[in-house]
Amino acid sequence: MTEASFIGLLEATVSFGALLYLAALGEMITEKAGILNLGVEGMMAIGAVTGFVVALQTGNPWVALVAAIAAGALIGLLHGLFTVVLGAEQVVSGLSLTILGIGLAAYIGKGSVGQPAGAELVPVDWGPLSDIPWVGPVLFQQSPLVYMAVLAGLAAWFVLGRTRLGLAVRAAGESAPTADAAGHSVAGLRLGAVATGGALAGASGAYLTLSITPQWAEGVVAGRGWIAVALVIFGAWRPGRVALGALLFGLTLALKTRLQTFGVDFSPILLSMLPYLLTVGVLVAISIRSRNRPSPAPAALGIAYRREER
Amino acid sequence: MRWPVLARRDRVLRGGQPLAFGVGLVVALVVGVFLLVGSGHDPLRVYARMFDASLGDPRAWSVTLNRAVPLGLAGLAVAVAGSMGLWNIGAEGQIMAGAIGAAWVARIGGGWPGPVLVTAMLAAAVVGGGLLALGPAIARARIGVNEIITTLMLNEVAIRLVQWLIHGRWKDPGSHNFPLAPMLPDNGRLPTLFERAHVGVVLAGIVIALFGLAVSRTAWGYELRVAGSSGATARYAGISLKRKILTVLVLSGGVAGFAGGVELSGNADRITEGLSNGFGFAGIIVAALALMRPSGVAAVALLFGAVQIGGQSIQTMGVSSSVSTILQALILFGAIAAGVLGRYRIQMVAGETVETPSAGAES
Repeated sequence: MTEASFIGLLEATVSFGALLYLAALGEMITEKAGILNLGVEGMMAIGAVTGFVVALQTGNPWVALVAAIAAGALIGLLHGLFTVVLGAEQVVSGLSLTILGIGLAAYIGKGSVGQPAGAELVPVDWGPLSDIPWVGPVLFQQSPLVYMAVLAGLAAWFVLGRTRLGLAVRAAGESAPTADAAGHSVAGLRLGAVATGGALAGASGAYLTLSITPQWAEGVVAGRGWIAVALVIFGAWRPGRVALGALLFGLTLALKTRLQTFGVDFSPILLSMLPYLLTVGVLVAISIRSRNRPSPAPAALGIAYRREER
Repeated sequence: MRWPVLARRDRVLRGGQPLAFGVGLVVALVVGVFLLVGSGHDPLRVYARMFDASLGDPRAWSVTLNRAVPLGLAGLAVAVAGSMGLWNIGAEGQIMAGAIGAAWVARIGGGWPGPVLVTAMLAAAVVGGGLLALGPAIARARIGVNEIITTLMLNEVAIRLVQWLIHGRWKDPGSHNFPLAPMLPDNGRLPTLFERAHVGVVLAGIVIALFGLAVSRTAWGYELRVAGSSGATARYAGISLKRKILTVLVLSGGVAGFAGGVELSGNADRITEGLSNGFGFAGIIVAALALMRPSGVAAVALLFGAVQIGGQSIQTMGVSSSVSTILQALILFGAIAAGVLGRYRIQMVAGETVETPSAGAES
C-alpha cells in the first residue's frame, strides 16, 4: 500500500462521508420532528438532476447548487403535504416519493445523459493549510460541500439542542399534543423540518453531480439514500454520532473500489453490505438496551397528528 | 390569520376506495399530459400506444398479466403483514432471496423431470424469501425491533448477495468474463398458458385468493385483524402476539420469495441483480391502494402491470420509460388525497397566536 493511495482513501472517506452526512442530517431533522421520510433516495435523485441540468444551462455551479437545494425542499414538501396536512401513512408516502423522484429525475435528465458537465464545484484552496502533508489533501482540498456539511452539522446540533425552536421541533417529534398545547404549530414545525430534510438531500444529490462524478446517469444515487436513512438510526438521532457513522460508512464506500489496489482479498460486494448489516445490529442493540432506559428514537415518529383528535 | 384544517365529515363520501383509485388515475394522467407536452410529445398518441401495448389484444394482455404476477404477489406479501399492522418493506429483497433459492435448485436439478424441478424451485423460493424475513420477524416478535427499518436494510443486502453470486461462484464460465449466471435449464421453466403468459398467472391468482379467504374468512385471519387493530384487545382474547408476528412476517417474506421464484422460472432467462425491478417497492403501493386487503391486490396489480408494460412500449416513440414510473407514484398520491378528502373536508379556522418568537418564525 503506497502512501498516495492511503491518502486517496482518507480523502475519499471524508468526501463520501460528507455526501452521506448531508442527506442523513436532513433525515435526522425530519425524524426529530416526528416525520419518517423514506423518500431520501428520490429527493437525492431530484437534487442530482437539478444540479446537473441547471449547471448545463447557466454554467454557474453555485446557481446549480441553490436550485438543487430548492428542488429538494420542494419535493420534500410533497411528503409534508401528504403526511402532515393530509395525515397519510408516512411509510407509503415516503416510498412513493422515492419512486416519483427517481422517475422524475430520469425524465428531466433524459437529454443530459452522457453530456459533459456545465460546471463543477472546484475544491476550496485553504492556502498554506492545503499544503500540509497528509492533512492538507484529506481535510483542506475538498469540495465546498464538505465544509457546508460540517457547518450544517454544527448548526443542527446548536439549533436542535440549544434553542427554543429546536426544543419545539423535538417536542413535535416526542409528543405532538404536548407541543400543540404549549402553543407551537405542530404542522408548521413538521413542514419546516421536512422541507429542511429535502433541502439537505437535494444538496447531497447535487454533490454527486457537481463534484464527485460530474455527469448525469440514471441511478446515480445508487442506494446512498438508504444508507442515509440507516445512518440516522446508527447515529442514534444525534448530529455528532451521525457524523462518526457517516465517516465509517463513507470509508466502506471509499474502500469498495480500492480493496484490490490494497491487495486485500475480500469481495468489495460483501463489504458494501456492511452499512446495512451494522445498522440492523445497532437497531437490535438499541431495542435490547431500551428495556431499561428510553429509546433514542423520537417517541411520536411516524404518528400523524390531527388536532381535532387530540 | 386563518388556517385550512381538515374536519371529519359527518358522512363518508360514497364510492370508497375504487373511486379514490379512479381519481388517482385521472390525476396521474392529467399530470402526465403536462409532462408529455413539455417534452414535445402528443399525449393522446402516447396514451393510445400505452393502452394498445398493454391491453389492446390477447398478446398484450398476456404480457401485462405476466407483469401483474410479481406485482400482485409482492402486494399480497405487504398486505398480509399490513392486515396485522406490520410493515414489510423488504419484499424487494425477499423476491431476490426467493430467486436465489430457485436458481440454486435449478443448478442442482438440471436432470430432474420438469414438474419436479419447477415445484422444487418454487418451494425453495418460498423458503428463501421466508428466511430473509426470519431475522426481522424474530427481532420484532422477541425484542420489539421496528420491522420497517430491518426489512428495508435487508433489501440492499439481498441484492448484493445476488451480485456476489453472479460475480463469483455462479458466474457462467461461458459468459466471456461477464458477470452472468448460466441460463436456466429448459425443464426449469414454467409452462406457457397462452401467448406469452405463463402458468405463474394462475398460481399467483390461487395464492392471492387463498390468502384473501384466510384473512377474511378464517379464525386465523380474524385474530390477525384483531391483533392489527389493537394489541391489547388481542392479548385479552388470548391471542399470542409474539407467535402471530413471527408467522405473519415469515409468511409475508415467503409470499414475496414465491414471487421471485415465479418471476425467475416464468419470465427470466437467468438470475440477475435486476430481476426484481422495483417490484417489491411497487408492491407496497399496490397494497396501500388495495387498503391492505388481499382481495383488492389482484385488481390493482393488473392495472399497475398495464401501466408498466405500456410505459416500456412508448420508448420506441422516443418517450422515456420513466413516464410509467412517475404515473405509478402519482396514482398513489392522487388516491391518497382523494381518500382523505372523502373522509374529511377542508375548513378554514382562525390560527392561534404563538407565544415563543423563535417558533413563531417557523409557523
